[in-house]
Amino acid sequence: MTWHLPTSVDDVVRTRAERPEAPIVAGGTFLGILVRQGLVEADEWISLQRVTELTRMHSAGDLSVGAMVTHRRLELDDTVRTIWPGVAAAFKAVASPRVRNRATMGGVLADADYASDPPSMLVASNAVAEIASVRGTRRVPVEDLIIGHYSTSMEEDELITRVVVPRPTGAAVYRKLRTRSQEDRPASSVAAVVHGETVRVVVGAVSDRPYHFADVCSQWRPGDLDSAREIGEEYASRIDYIDDNRGSAAYRRHVVGVEVRRALMAVAR
Amino acid sequence: MNLTLNVNGRAVDVDAEPHDMLVDVLRDQVGLTGPRVTCGVGLCGTCTVLLDGEPVSGCILMAPLAQGKEITTIEGLPEDDEVVASFDRNHAFQCGYCIPGMVLTARDMIDKGHACSREEIREGLGGNLCRCGCYLKIIEAVEEAAQ
Repeated sequence: MTWHLPTSVDDVVRTRAERPEAPIVAGGTFLGILVRQGLVEADEWISLQRVTELTRMHSAGDLSVGAMVTHRRLELDDTVRTIWPGVAAAFKAVASPRVRNRATMGGVLADADYASDPPSMLVASNAVAEIASVRGTRRVPVEDLIIGHYSTSMEEDELITRVVVPRPTGAAVYRKLRTRSQEDRPASSVAAVVHGETVRVVVGAVSDRPYHFADVCSQWRPGDLDSAREIGEEYASRIDYIDDNRGSAAYRRHVVGVEVRRALMAVAR
Repeated sequence: MNLTLNVNGRAVDVDAEPHDMLVDVLRDQVGLTGPRVTCGVGLCGTCTVLLDGEPVSGCILMAPLAQGKEITTIEGLPEDDEVVASFDRNHAFQCGYCIPGMVLTARDMIDKGHACSREEIREGLGGNLCRCGCYLKIIEAVEEAAQ
């Protein structure tokens, strides 16, 4: 077996273009489970562990997060906690410190696992992913990146290099509903971020991908409980829910209405 | 694949493929049985090791990812480690199976200043399960060691 250790983004995308079957390993927390369970096998692997340019983070204007920045770093960074508290909260909600010490920004988006915490907050925050390949670089809103269960709109030779989160102009709230234990994945993941006079509400972990309904959000009257309740009910009714160990579809339909309402009341405070 | 790992301050040569997890390499090739395999999905914390001082789940860490990092297992802590002594004084265990993971997680929390309140300690140990249910004693032991 071959464990490729490229040291630059150019190296990575060239290596991947020549070996499209070789999995790219970032933090390895999700791939590690799949490999251990025999769900992923490969003769060649491409590890990002030596690509130092992917570990950069800047917060002078917008927040620019390299693909290899860990959840733990986002959770603990003073500037992120102060200016992007919703982002810090969503990454802090993931699993345990052990996982957050390894799991990365690029990994959580490329995996597109429906039961992750960060995607709903990143979509609500209007985050944009920068994606590189031998053909060049392009930018894709996270909203258009995750398109279904473990599916993204990326081509197989592409690599997420960084994610840019605009500087917020209003409050942000992340609500994670756990139904089993502290380190569990969310049964529902609701993010609400105020942008000027409008709000972006995004619901994740209850269906194949995060859901945002701009037409419903446009009805919002800040601080009005009836408005928050109506938006919650509309979100609850529009999503096609899954059943899993964390909750039935019927249960999720109910809690999404409640969680959206509470998130909207919290951002209006 | 031949890998050189830095374990508890010494360089160790092992033969490990990417599908070999660090905990198995440490147990089967290096002979360190402090890290244990239980859930196999990074949930329970018995496989905890420190990688450059930060706790990680050894059961889902592909062994090559540990190259170039300093790996610390419970065997690598000094004999007079304050966290170990505090667990002992507080009788913070019954069967002891989860304790290496608890101690290493606590070591990191204390070193980084994340064990300043009971709430913070509870949250920090949230991913380490003790099926004997010794949580109260464990929290007291960490609280005492942090002082």
